[in-house]
Amino acid sequence: MADLEAQETFIQLPIQIDPSTKAVTSTSTSSSTALDAELKSLNTLHRSLLALDTPNSVPPPPVPVNPKRSAQIGKLRDSANSELRKGKHADAIRMYSLGIEMAQGRPPWEPAGLVREELSALYSNRAQAHMGMQAWPEGAIDAECSTELKRVRNAKAWWRRGQCLVEMGRLDEAKEWVARAIDFENGEQELKTLLEEIEKKIESKRR
Amino acid sequence: MVDWIGLAVPIAYLSILVISLATFSSLYRKRKISKSASLEPWFPPHLQKNIYLSLLHLEPSEGSEKPTRVPDSVLKAALLRRATEDIHRLIAIRNAKGALKTLLARGSVGDDLGQRFDRAEKEIEDELKDVVNEANAFAPNWGQTVFQSASEMANNNLIRARMAELQSQAAVERAWWDKKRANTSSEFMKELDAAVEEQSSVSSKVAALDSSSTSSRTGSVAAPAAAGPGRGCDDDAVIVEGGGPAVGGQGSARKKKAKK
Repeated sequence: MADLEAQETFIQLPIQIDPSTKAVTSTSTSSSTALDAELKSLNTLHRSLLALDTPNSVPPPPVPVNPKRSAQIGKLRDSANSELRKGKHADAIRMYSLGIEMAQGRPPWEPAGLVREELSALYSNRAQAHMGMQAWPEGAIDAECSTELKRVRNAKAWWRRGQCLVEMGRLDEAKEWVARAIDFENGEQELKTLLEEIEKKIESKRR
Repeated sequence: MVDWIGLAVPIAYLSILVISLATFSSLYRKRKISKSASLEPWFPPHLQKNIYLSLLHLEPSEGSEKPTRVPDSVLKAALLRRATEDIHRLIAIRNAKGALKTLLARGSVGDDLGQRFDRAEKEIEDELKDVVNEANAFAPNWGQTVFQSASEMANNNLIRARMAELQSQAAVERAWWDKKRANTSSEFMKELDAAVEEQSSVSSKVAALDSSSTSSRTGSVAAPAAAGPGRGCDDDAVIVEGGGPAVGGQGSARKKKAKK
């Protein structure tokens, strides 16, 4: 009995819907921030639902993915890579940022694994471009983002953050970071070399 | 002949026994039910579910007679948000289950916690069934995929939130790095200054004479200049800041900027 009642009762929230924009808003003046935040994400989700052209306008199952956006992101990454190779770091960063924006702008019901894969590559490469401009803090952050999204088989991103930390003189942090990277990457040679360099630098600093 | 008086005693005994046992059992059960009902729920109130149901039962707004018609698309969005929250809860329940069962078996935690957990588990089961039914009402067979979508949404939300968190550190790190570099370069320049102290003391006297008239103007010019080079041409910033006692002031000004 008690369960049935719990199922059927709910708290009527002070919300209203705008007849023209269909945006849901809170009516009470002293509204809670949690409700406001939730309504905001509800409205965002509603707008992305309206953009759907599937029958019944419900989100399609996660797979197969709409190939259009993947192609666009791939194109942006390729042109950014070629800018990077030419040494135009600022242009490359701009394009990587566009690609990141586009990957993050995927409809939320598309596979999260795909988003991870795309974002980690883009962040890792943007870190490289930042390093080309000697923007170590940004490079370190981007490389950390990349490893956060993809922990294994992402040795480049691990290495890049390590290198950025070394450049900023944060040797102890760098050592800890690279040691962790070696755990994840199963003893990648480049990471080992970097670790040796860091240890040498720490030694020479002590003396 | 039945001996009514002789039978009255055992009958009275039996009836008193039965009545007292029945009272005890009913009282005990009532207490147990009220106790389990008063137990704190495992999860906080389900905000998304409340929003969805509130939208279904939306009161007519002031001035209009007929109840406001909520478009299906809004309800679908609300249902998806609800399903996403259910995914979070389901994961939380599954993660907690193993550890909790071990703790309960060992007696490390009380039975109350076990009861609360069992109730939460049952609630989430009902909740999932309810969402599937609602989804099927909106579109045929949506119930089969609604939780797949919701699960991806939950993961995607996690990714985006984490990325935003990490990227928000960039400004802080940049400010720290600028400050550190300004410090090291000013130390370096101080060493240089010490070497050429005689010359600089002469020139600073001249500068002091000069600055008494123009200090307010240079101060206002220096502030935007200090903010500018932090991002682009870093070498200029080093040269400008290496100038002398102005370094400390500029550093703090930039720090304030970063905090805004």
